[in-house]
Amino acid sequence: MRISRISLSPAYGPFSLVRGSLRHWQTFLVVGYTVAAFSWTIPASLFPPKTVIDGMVSGPFLLLGLWQAWDMFSPDPRATDICVEMRCTDRNGTVDRRMLTDMVAMGYFERWQKDRWRKYFNDYLRLDDEHRLWQPFAEYAVRRLREEGHDPVRVELVRWWRPCEPAVRPDLRADLRQTPWSSYMFHRWAVPREWDQ
Amino acid sequence: MKSPWAMIVRASVAFDRWVRDPVDPRPLAWFRCWLGLLSLVNLWLLWPDMVMWLGNEGVLPPEVHRETVGGTRISVFMLTGYSDLAIGLIRCLGLAGGLGLVLGVFPRCAAACVWLAAVSYSWRNMDILHSGDNLIRIGAFFLIFARSGEALSLPRAVSRRLFPQAAVDPVALYQPVPAWPQRILQLQLCILYLAAGVWKLMGPTWRNGTAVGMVLQLGEFQRFPIPEFFLTPIMSQVFTYGTLAFELGFPVLIWFPRLRLPVLVAGLAFHAGLDWVMNVQLFQWLITAYYLLWLKPRRS
Repeated sequence: MRISRISLSPAYGPFSLVRGSLRHWQTFLVVGYTVAAFSWTIPASLFPPKTVIDGMVSGPFLLLGLWQAWDMFSPDPRATDICVEMRCTDRNGTVDRRMLTDMVAMGYFERWQKDRWRKYFNDYLRLDDEHRLWQPFAEYAVRRLREEGHDPVRVELVRWWRPCEPAVRPDLRADLRQTPWSSYMFHRWAVPREWDQ
Repeated sequence: MKSPWAMIVRASVAFDRWVRDPVDPRPLAWFRCWLGLLSLVNLWLLWPDMVMWLGNEGVLPPEVHRETVGGTRISVFMLTGYSDLAIGLIRCLGLAGGLGLVLGVFPRCAAACVWLAAVSYSWRNMDILHSGDNLIRIGAFFLIFARSGEALSLPRAVSRRLFPQAAVDPVALYQPVPAWPQRILQLQLCILYLAAGVWKLMGPTWRNGTAVGMVLQLGEFQRFPIPEFFLTPIMSQVFTYGTLAFELGFPVLIWFPRLRLPVLVAGLAFHAGLDWVMNVQLFQWLITAYYLLWLKPRRS
């Protein structure tokens, strides 16, 4: 029996090209995701097509939770120690001072568990640009203080900071360093007696 | 000598095969288990503060959140609206999903649960996120499409115990699975290191060797005690340039089979060291899950 070779060879045309491409969908997906993630995470100055690619993929990335950033401690690590304090004045005049992110004063487990506190208070809440967060936090704090049996009449938020030294020495660790702290009260709220009662 | 065009074609064909050829299911199963366990630890750490971070009467009430976040995101808040019911749902999804991933019970559903829980809390308060959250979201998302339950799975172990005659053939035990989800996650790890290295290269303190010394001074990241020997300018330079070399070298060296194991061991040492000196919760642990995807299991 004779079998024609020609009849077995694939027909080349636009349809077969599409079919062939579809067979490789995994490769296209992997390449597409890699390019998108690369563009998303690399500085614009080093990757000129970033604006175009990010514009195309921002929808799916944000929708599906695939957004990402890997720029911790860069381009340069922060050069100041930071802490956020909450001061509450009770109706009887006592002042309760709570350092919210004094990680060095916390135990090993507590500072590990409260890493998100550091993120929230030190990286966002303390900043002037994030002033929209100040009053909601003060209100949250008053609710919690009332649950604890306090009767706060005033809540103040204070940021503390001190510069790192340019040198590297064992006695310059945060728990040993003698550099003086500076502070600034960035939010004050006089709590109305009837608020949220 | 081959033309550049021929080399490109050869590389493309090799890459296509790398993506499309089925793979041993065990690395994906190891990844699934370890990611599931770490997602449970993450949930446990987040649990006590969830009302504060995500609740309607927490630090980010709905009216402030609405102002800051634009566009639609998939999350449980689409079902519940701004409601504290969502916190209960996130807890249930995270718990069920994490356990499902660890045990290999309905692994795709479990991955979807972990992913949904992670995107939900990420959407509700983006100011509390760390890099580990990115790794959980991305890992869980691609596990939804992976056949990661073909090994290290409780239902399979039970069925093998009940029907031992079905599990005699070790080849049948680990049927190859589609590779593309594993390939995406492997490439994700390379992108992570490359981006981290490139961003650091742009900073003067990383280029002059003082960056790590600076980081070690910061109280907010301080963790366990460090030997005084490490807190010197020379060691700061060693660690700063070592970090740059590792982060920029990993995405290149990992592709050479002979170097793969040494690179992974160096990476483990690097992250173990970081976890000792720096308090960044689970990132150093979560990244080790992605390392498992690069391991080549012994043949059965």
